[in-house]
Amino acid sequence: MLAGGIGAGALIALPDPLLALRGDKPPARSPSPVAPDSQYVLLYGMPESMPFSGGSVAWAPYPEPRPRGPFPASRTRERLVAKPVADKIASTPVLSHDRTTVALVTVHTAAAGAKVTLALVDAATALISKQGSLTITDIRKGANILATPVFAPGTPTIALVLAITEPTGRRQARKVEAHTGRTVPMHAVTWTSHHALAYFDRHSGKFTGPFHLDNAPSLALTSAAANSSDLFVWTTKEPQPAKTRPQPPPLPWVSVFPLGAGQARASVPSPAPWPAGEPVVTLSTGEVGRLVNGRAVQVSSARTGEVTQTVIQPLNVTRAKPSAVTMEARQDGTVFLTKPGVGQAVVADPAEEFRIKAKVSYPVPATPLGAPWSKAVLSPEGDTLYVLGGAKAGGISAYDVATGKLARSYSYGRKYNGLYQLPSGVLLTISPQNPRLEFFSPHLSPLGTAATDLHISAVF
Amino acid sequence: MSGFDTAGRIHHTFQSARREFGWPPRYWIRYFSPSPAADIFADEAVAESGGAWDSGGPYVGCVSSPLQHRLSGSFAEGQADAQAYAASLLAAWNVVAQLKLPANNQLWCFLDQEYSTGLSLSYWNGWANYIANYNFAHLHTYPLYPALYCAPFSPYPNCTTIAAAKGLNIPSSVWSSEPEPCGTLKHRPKFNAQECSSASRSKVRSHLWQFGEQPGCGYTANVDLDLGDVNIPSYCFRVVARP
Repeated sequence: MLAGGIGAGALIALPDPLLALRGDKPPARSPSPVAPDSQYVLLYGMPESMPFSGGSVAWAPYPEPRPRGPFPASRTRERLVAKPVADKIASTPVLSHDRTTVALVTVHTAAAGAKVTLALVDAATALISKQGSLTITDIRKGANILATPVFAPGTPTIALVLAITEPTGRRQARKVEAHTGRTVPMHAVTWTSHHALAYFDRHSGKFTGPFHLDNAPSLALTSAAANSSDLFVWTTKEPQPAKTRPQPPPLPWVSVFPLGAGQARASVPSPAPWPAGEPVVTLSTGEVGRLVNGRAVQVSSARTGEVTQTVIQPLNVTRAKPSAVTMEARQDGTVFLTKPGVGQAVVADPAEEFRIKAKVSYPVPATPLGAPWSKAVLSPEGDTLYVLGGAKAGGISAYDVATGKLARSYSYGRKYNGLYQLPSGVLLTISPQNPRLEFFSPHLSPLGTAATDLHISAVF
Repeated sequence: MSGFDTAGRIHHTFQSARREFGWPPRYWIRYFSPSPAADIFADEAVAESGGAWDSGGPYVGCVSSPLQHRLSGSFAEGQADAQAYAASLLAAWNVVAQLKLPANNQLWCFLDQEYSTGLSLSYWNGWANYIANYNFAHLHTYPLYPALYCAPFSPYPNCTTIAAAKGLNIPSSVWSSEPEPCGTLKHRPKFNAQECSSASRSKVRSHLWQFGEQPGCGYTANVDLDLGDVNIPSYCFRVVARP
């Protein structure tokens, strides 16, 4: 039934080395106020080879010159054993706002259509805590389903935004093969997408829906976020050939659905760009912010969905190459935004029209656009910014957020591609080749390395 | 056959770039949706096409830079990204009447795979298949051709992935980001792009080479410099008059 719903991604769990090796307990005072019990780091990526062996991880204490490493080697090998969580994942997993749960989706063929399964992984135990499935029926043979889980903070609801893309026309055609120059027959297929919503109750383990939206033909890509009462979904009508040119491009629309509903209570045009997985966060006001074009935040009213836009000036810098951009909501109501391609990180206050409360400039890292997109992280207290070192120096650096000044740095020349801070406070860097994982203390002291057979593209 | 690629505005950039590099570009390569910088061409397609015309390089090549972690993902993710890409090309064509398809009916559509990104075969097949099958403007000529921007010697799967592609999913070209000797358009290096054939059993040639990137080469203008070993404008949108 499905032409290609089965995914390529895998998720493995590695014990947080600091907790695993210092007593198997979370610290009494975790640096993370929102995920105090997390004892695992969840690694998402692409297996080096198939079939996937399950994600072996080889841990090693940091080599000399650290003679008195914090972790005795004999203990670490026994206790730092990675465990596979899931593979053939259909889309990138999503982390809950409180960082306690990771949602992942698999899609399989079912007798009556397609079976979409949502699994919730407990970050503290790396076990699937709840799982539910729904069957999408009445779809054409060869359809593809792209599913995006959306956590609704403060509720047991997880919305599932489904893009269903079906082959709606097939014809014989001919086309020149670029690599041979020959004209060859082809089975040309026309694909048409529409969306559907479903809601999972993590208490009951039951789904409501799916509710099919009457919005074909649309682009499959969406952006979505939820507050405690509503789901916000950005969609775009698929443009059609102009009968007379010029014809303006379609604008995206943002629709507001009460949680559990398949009918929008408000639907308004949104300024460009088309939704494509850009950062979207739920603000403390209940409004939803979308970071667009790498430089502006569009805020959608919680009541009507109507949009206002604010340019974040430190990010409003153009370079030849685009950059990764990230935005995350913080416990104190502020948002943290960073654009490593221009070496800027800011803390802004949505309650004051995104006034910049703190700004740090840092050297542009070696891979400001490539995966993983996390190149800079703000400590839970908000006083320290950790960033990947610059393209020439590599390593990692820490900045004092209050002054914007470099506090310390560490490098032995290796250039990392991603940086995360675990709930224990340990910093984790990602590299292209083994050992792909390196662990550092919050003071940038090297702790150890781990090798894995997963090409890591995101960490939870 | 040299040109520029940029995430900036052509009409803001071309004069400073020409001053800095001593030569007008033959073509521009611009970001289309889904990309962090897709908005500029999408929102200002007329001004951008006018900029390309004024620059003396009235050809617009196409690249898309989706969320990079998605490139390790599923067929459905690749298909969805390609659908938005093809739609954004059509949207630009809809807006600018002076924007024409290549005379040879082969518009190379590059997917941006950055150095630290892995490309799964599932994603590539979903992406490339949609591009190759897209009935652009209902012309029934299927002018879009999948192509890949990558660093062939990166340790992440790229060339090995496209080596497994079949039929029309085989990319028409690789656009190699390495090596990076820098230079200018006037004083450019001899074509020496890294080839996938050196890193895998792929036979797809690198016909386009990004020999100078802005940060690594210390360029002031917001452009990277590119060189082709074929007539690259033949595989770009043509701006046939000033819009």
